Amino acid sequence: MKNGRALIFSALALALVQIGFLSWMIAGRAAVLRDGQEVLLKVEPVDPRDLLRGDYIYLSYDISRIPVKLIADIPAGKQTNDEGQITVRLKKGADGYWRAASAWLAQPTSPAGADEVDIVGHISAGWTLSGDTTIAPDYGIERFYLPEGEGLAIERDMRVRPFGIRAAVSKDGVPQIKALMDGDQMLFEEPLY
Amino acid sequence: MASHSTKVKQDIARWLEAGLIDGMTADALARDVEANERRSLSFGSILAMMAALLLGAAILIFVAANWEAIPRLARVGALFAIILGGYVGGAFVKARGYSAIGEALWIVAAAAFGGSIALIGQMYHFSGDESAAMLTWCAGTALAALALRSGPLTVAAVGIADAWLAMKLVGGFRLFSSGEIPHLFVVIAAGLFAVSYWTRSYAARHLLVLSLIFYVVGLAVDDNLLVVAVLLALVSAAAFAAAVIAPAATDAIVKLGGRLPLHGLIGFLTGMALVQFQLADTGGFAIAAAVTLAGIAAAIVLAGRQSRGLRWLAYLGFAFELCLIYAVTMETMLGTAGFFLLAALVLGVLAFAIIRIERRMSHPVDGEAAS
Repeated sequence: MKNGRALIFSALALALVQIGFLSWMIAGRAAVLRDGQEVLLKVEPVDPRDLLRGDYIYLSYDISRIPVKLIADIPAGKQTNDEGQITVRLKKGADGYWRAASAWLAQPTSPAGADEVDIVGHISAGWTLSGDTTIAPDYGIERFYLPEGEGLAIERDMRVRPFGIRAAVSKDGVPQIKALMDGDQMLFEEPLY
Repeated sequence: MASHSTKVKQDIARWLEAGLIDGMTADALARDVEANERRSLSFGSILAMMAALLLGAAILIFVAANWEAIPRLARVGALFAIILGGYVGGAFVKARGYSAIGEALWIVAAAAFGGSIALIGQMYHFSGDESAAMLTWCAGTALAALALRSGPLTVAAVGIADAWLAMKLVGGFRLFSSGEIPHLFVVIAAGLFAVSYWTRSYAARHLLVLSLIFYVVGLAVDDNLLVVAVLLALVSAAAFAAAVIAPAATDAIVKLGGRLPLHGLIGFLTGMALVQFQLADTGGFAIAAAVTLAGIAAAIVLAGRQSRGLRWLAYLGFAFELCLIYAVTMETMLGTAGFFLLAALVLGVLAFAIIRIERRMSHPVDGEAAS
C-alpha cells in the first residue's frame, strides 16, 4: 500500500505540474491582451480555396507582404534570406489601420516612436532580397477560430467588404488577436480568458 | 490470448490424463502458461485501451468543435478536471490492482492535456504552431510516463512524436512551408528511448527504432541521398552483426526482446533500396543489387533459425529486390526476355530454397517436441 500511496502522490504532482503549465500559457496570452499596444490591421481576401479550413478562417493581412525595400538591414550581397524572425515597425495611418513603415531582420536600430509599434514575425528561408519583390512573414495571428458552421458566411462577406483585426502587441512584439471587425462593426471580441 | 492459454491448459489436462506427462510437469506447464499470459495483453486491457483512445479522441474533437453553449473557461476547467481526475484516479485504481483500467485513465488524462493545449490555441487564435503544440504535448506525455512509470504513456509519447515527424516531413498543416527536415527528432527519440528503460516499455523501443529508420529515409530523400542511405545500410548491418555475434550483450543494452536483428534487416533493406534508386542508371546498380542479395542470404543463414519473422522479412525483401532489378534492367525486349528467363530460374530456386530452409529450420523444433 505504501507503493500505491507514492504512485497516487506522483500522479497528483504530475497533474498539478501539467495544469500549472497550461495556466501559465493562458496567463501569458491574457497578459498580452490586457497590456499590449492595440493596433488595427487590414485583412486581405485570400485565395478562396485556402480561406476556410475546418473551424477557422485563414487571415492574410496587408502586413503579410513586406516590400523588401522596407527592410533596413539587408547584409550587402545577400541574395536570399535565411529562416528567422523579422521585426516590422507599424505606423498608424490616417484611416485608423496600421501599416508597415520599416522592417529589420536583426534588431531595430531605433526605438519605436509615438503611433508606432514593433511586431515580430517569422519568415521561412529563400525569399529574394533584391528589387521590387515582397517577402511574406507569419505573425502567428493568421487564423481566427469560429464556432462550428459560422465560417462560411464570414468567408463570403470578407470577399466583398473590408475586414479588420484588432490586435494587441506586447512589448517584445508578440501579437494577439483581440477582435474581428467587419468595417466598423465588431463581429467577435475576445475576453481575456 | 486468453483463449490460447485456456486451450493449452485443456491440452495439459488431456496429456496428464493420457499419462504422457506426470502431475509435477503438468503443474509446471500450467504455471508457465499463466505467467506468460499475464505478460501478454489480455482482451480486457485491450478493450480498456481502446475505450481510452476513443474517449481521448472525443475530447480532442469536442475541443475542435468550439461549441459556444459552454463558456470556454468552463471548457478549460472541465479539461483540467479530467487531467487531475485521470492521473490521480488512474493511480488510485492501479494501486488497487486494476492495472489496465489505471493505464487507460492515464491515457485519457494525457489526451486531455493535448486537448487543453489545442483549446488554448483556439482561445487565443494561435496560427501555424502545431509543431510547438505537438512537441509540448509529447513532452507532457513523456513526463507523465516518467512520473507514473507507465508503458502505455511511453508508447503514446512516441506516437505523438511520430505524428509530429510525419507532419514535418510531409510539409505540415501549414500552407506554404517547405518540408524541412526535423533533426530535433533524433534528440526526442533518444530522450524517449531513455524514458522507455525506466518504464520498461518494449513496444515503445520497437516503435522508436522503426521511427528512426523512417526519419533517415526522410533525410535521405531530402538531400545527399547516397551517403545517408549507405550509412543507414551500414549502421543497420553493424547492428545486425552485433545482435547475432553477441545476442545477450546487445539485448542487455537495447532491450528489444531479441528482435534487434529484425530491425537491423529492415534498416539494411531500406538503406539498400534507397541506394539502388539512386544508382539505378549507373553501373553501381549491379553491385548494390548484389550486396543486397548477399545481405538477405546472410541474414537468413545467420539469424533465420531463431526468428520466423526475420525469415519472412528476408523473403519479402528478396521479392522486392527482384521487382527492382526487373524495373531497372527493363530496357530492351531481348533484355527483358532474358531477365524473365533469369527471374523464372531465380524464383524457382527461391521457392526451392524457401521450402528447404523452412523445413530445415522447423525440423529441430518438431524433433524436440516428439522426444
